[in-house]
Amino acid sequence: MLAFLARRMVMAIGTVLAAVVISFLLVHATDTSPGAVRLGTNATPERIVAENEALGWNRPLPTQFFDYLGDLVRGDLGTSLIDGRSIAADLADRVPVTASIALFATLLSGVLGIVLGVTAAVRGGRLARLITTGSGVALSLPVFWVGILLVYVLALQLGWLPATGYVPFTVDPAGWFTSLLIPVITLTIGGAAIVARTANAGLRQALAQEHVRTLRAMGTPEWRIRYVHALRFASLPVVSVLGIQFIALFGGSVIIENLFALPGLGQAGQAAAASSDFPALVGVVVVATLVVVVINLLLDLVVAALDPKVRAA
Amino acid sequence: MSVLPLDAADDVAAEPGSPARRQGLSEVLRRPGGLLAAGWLLFVVVASLTAPWWRPYGVAEQDLANRLALPSAEHWLGTDPLGRDLLSRIFTAGTEPLLSSAVTVLVAFGIGLPLALIAAERGPRVERVISRVTEVFLALPSTILLLAVIGVIGVRTFIIMAVLGVLISAAVYRVMLGVAQSVRTRLYVDAARVNGLGSLRVNVVHVLPSMATVIAVQAAQLYGIGLLIVAGLAFLGFGPAEPDPSWGFMIQDASSYVFNAPWLMVPTGLVLALTVIAANELADAIAGKAAGEAAPARRRRRSPALTAPLDGAAELAPADPDAVLEVRDLTIAVDDGADLVTGVSFALRPGRVLGLVGESGCGKTMTARSLLGLLPDGVSVRGGAIHWRGQDLVGRTEKELTAVRGREIALISQEPMVALDPMFSVAYQLTQPIRRFRGVGRGEARRIAAELLRNVGIVDAERVLRSYPHQLSGGMAQRVCIALALTGEPQLLIADEPTTALDVTVQAEILTLLRALVRDTGLSVVVVSHDLGVVADICDDVAVMYAGTVVESGTAAAVLDAPEHPYTQALLAANPHVPDGVPVPVRLASIPGTVPPPGSWPAGCRFATRCQFAQDQCRSPFPARPAHATGSVFCVRADELADAHVSWDADPVGAAHAPATTPTAGASR
Repeated sequence: MLAFLARRMVMAIGTVLAAVVISFLLVHATDTSPGAVRLGTNATPERIVAENEALGWNRPLPTQFFDYLGDLVRGDLGTSLIDGRSIAADLADRVPVTASIALFATLLSGVLGIVLGVTAAVRGGRLARLITTGSGVALSLPVFWVGILLVYVLALQLGWLPATGYVPFTVDPAGWFTSLLIPVITLTIGGAAIVARTANAGLRQALAQEHVRTLRAMGTPEWRIRYVHALRFASLPVVSVLGIQFIALFGGSVIIENLFALPGLGQAGQAAAASSDFPALVGVVVVATLVVVVINLLLDLVVAALDPKVRAA
Repeated sequence: MSVLPLDAADDVAAEPGSPARRQGLSEVLRRPGGLLAAGWLLFVVVASLTAPWWRPYGVAEQDLANRLALPSAEHWLGTDPLGRDLLSRIFTAGTEPLLSSAVTVLVAFGIGLPLALIAAERGPRVERVISRVTEVFLALPSTILLLAVIGVIGVRTFIIMAVLGVLISAAVYRVMLGVAQSVRTRLYVDAARVNGLGSLRVNVVHVLPSMATVIAVQAAQLYGIGLLIVAGLAFLGFGPAEPDPSWGFMIQDASSYVFNAPWLMVPTGLVLALTVIAANELADAIAGKAAGEAAPARRRRRSPALTAPLDGAAELAPADPDAVLEVRDLTIAVDDGADLVTGVSFALRPGRVLGLVGESGCGKTMTARSLLGLLPDGVSVRGGAIHWRGQDLVGRTEKELTAVRGREIALISQEPMVALDPMFSVAYQLTQPIRRFRGVGRGEARRIAAELLRNVGIVDAERVLRSYPHQLSGGMAQRVCIALALTGEPQLLIADEPTTALDVTVQAEILTLLRALVRDTGLSVVVVSHDLGVVADICDDVAVMYAGTVVESGTAAAVLDAPEHPYTQALLAANPHVPDGVPVPVRLASIPGTVPPPGSWPAGCRFATRCQFAQDQCRSPFPARPAHATGSVFCVRADELADAHVSWDADPVGAAHAPATTPTAGASR
């Protein structure tokens, strides 16, 4: 168990390092330079060279890399080329926004998806076909399109919820909640579909296991076979899909944030990409990777709690 | 724009390339969904690629009088805020996502598939290295990395989608590795290697074709994901620049007019959504998933009304007033299909052990399972009776059977290693039924569990209680299974090949244990086995089964010492277990031919096709006759053969009645 956790920790650190290296090399492989980005299109070549020199862009790559790592360990991600603000401070405000959307959407997807998937596996027949087909359609829909549809129905036609915008929790908790509802529902439609498919397949596989026949032969009540034994067996794939789901939502929240004008991590990434704000780009990649890695570690703990084989390893 | 887990993979990878799952293209297209999906994809691709030649308007052509128009004769799908024709723009825009998504698929498989084949071929060390690297890739937030790439190289869609392919190749590798590994464990791949085929040829000729289904499923799904991502990027403004159309930006555009022109978002969104749905539906159709998903539920039919005995092997064993279990004329059949077991009758007295013996496929396991009402889905008892302590178990509801299972009749299954739930400790799996059967508390149940384990010969009961199934050896697991079967203090134990999966030394221990249990507790046991040694070892009575029916029955001593049915004689002649003091035969007999499958059984004696002594009279129906005092024999020539003192010839080549068929199981010295 300890060896397992140690191995996962090493993997986690390796992943963050890989993210830093990849984004660092990516930024340095380009033919534009931070000086050019900072000074804009009207700058003379001489001024750009001077600016690059001042930013330390011309120092040897390894020096810059280890300087960056050193700053990173201290929590310093540098400053934006566009507005000169601290990137770490900016992202610290944004992570909670993205995290709360991803968290709510994952939880809702989990509850809804498990209920639907279990229903399909247990009931079978026409209802199962309906759920399977419905989830197949739901996971194929583009989120931005679903989002607009929901805005049209829930905000414009029915007027139940605000269309876009974000209210900080500290300003108005109720407003914060309602401002997140349409984004979360949008993400849940596809997310619940994936969870439902996984739960359905997992439960059906579980019910076909040899040990389920042993349980039947022992006269075990059907509810116990389904909801204690088979569901426990199916929980492993479901938990890992939920983890992947959260990670995908966290990294992929850029569209939903753009659509609903939510000041999250994805929006920062989009802005940085559009303006070639290199330090901000690297910062977003590093922070997103850190979050992913932490979630993966938590997921490992959950899997270890569920699966005795992992625990013993 | 979430990078979806390749979800169907788990399903397909679970049983990679099993013959039933390998379907031809025609098979896929026969499903209405698959046909529609393939048709739509083909239509969108052709219509998009040829759009410049057929589109009614140029993409930038503005009809300012008809801005934000609904569908009309001039503009079939309506117009956008600048009065541009939506139909022309949608299909012109299709080319880029449809092609660049294919690039993602090609790159992802171009990297992931060879890596998986290499890892599967080169063994654990190479596999571990590649797997670690891909795990790092999998943990990177791919959407954000794509944004970083765009920030650096600008909007070059095809390169960006190729980079996405690189990132996703890690997921493709992970799925393909599992499949490739399981394909490689199959014998024919080894055979090909032994035959000297080079590694590339083995992979191309033998491994890849078996993976074709999974590859097709994954590729179709990934294609759909790719479409969503290209469109998502364009939605964010990272797509073709205006006035060139893109699906994503057209939807972005529509979002700002959703209040006054909601129609604007419908055509583009529908085309994109339908195309992704089609890709996923195609994946499902290839995987044959929907067919499997339709009928998962476990619905037990009540057995249909009893039918008359079908064959001659009827009404034989005389009703035994002392019998605790009496099976009469049992017929088991596939629903709307062939019979699997017909006219089986036997009786079992308390404290005795009955062996059901025969080759695989003779119906012995089906018969044993029917005693608990645990036949596989789609198979049911069609006739006959199973009298158990005064009640007929045939036609009972699931609820009534549940009350019998474990409490009165318990099962020990063939494979102890998979018979226990891997997710729960031995203690949980034992105490749970103990509490249910005996109505005791937690502490008492634990004490009883430890006692049961000691009764089945486990010395270190406390340690085993704390263990999980994967920590037990096969013999230990079988002892736990026997202890589990004893939790309800049943009167009848059904042991389905209880020693087949175990090592030879462990087999003897388990048989000794079963014998001791019968002696000490007065249990009755039905043992299913193909091994006459097991039968001779622990059975009091035996019923020899062939092709779904009992051909000979009686006490074990009588049947094994003086077999009257040629099939029993043949089985004994083919059995390598030679009792002490008997000279080892020069050669073991093989039985020529194979057991005829259900549905193709001949009338009369079903063994006639393989029997040395078969004559015309064997091929028409005849009744069984009593034999071995309490049993019967189903052979029309049994008396004749006994009088003539002929028995199964171990060397059919020299036999007077040698059949024309050639032996299939090779005789060994």
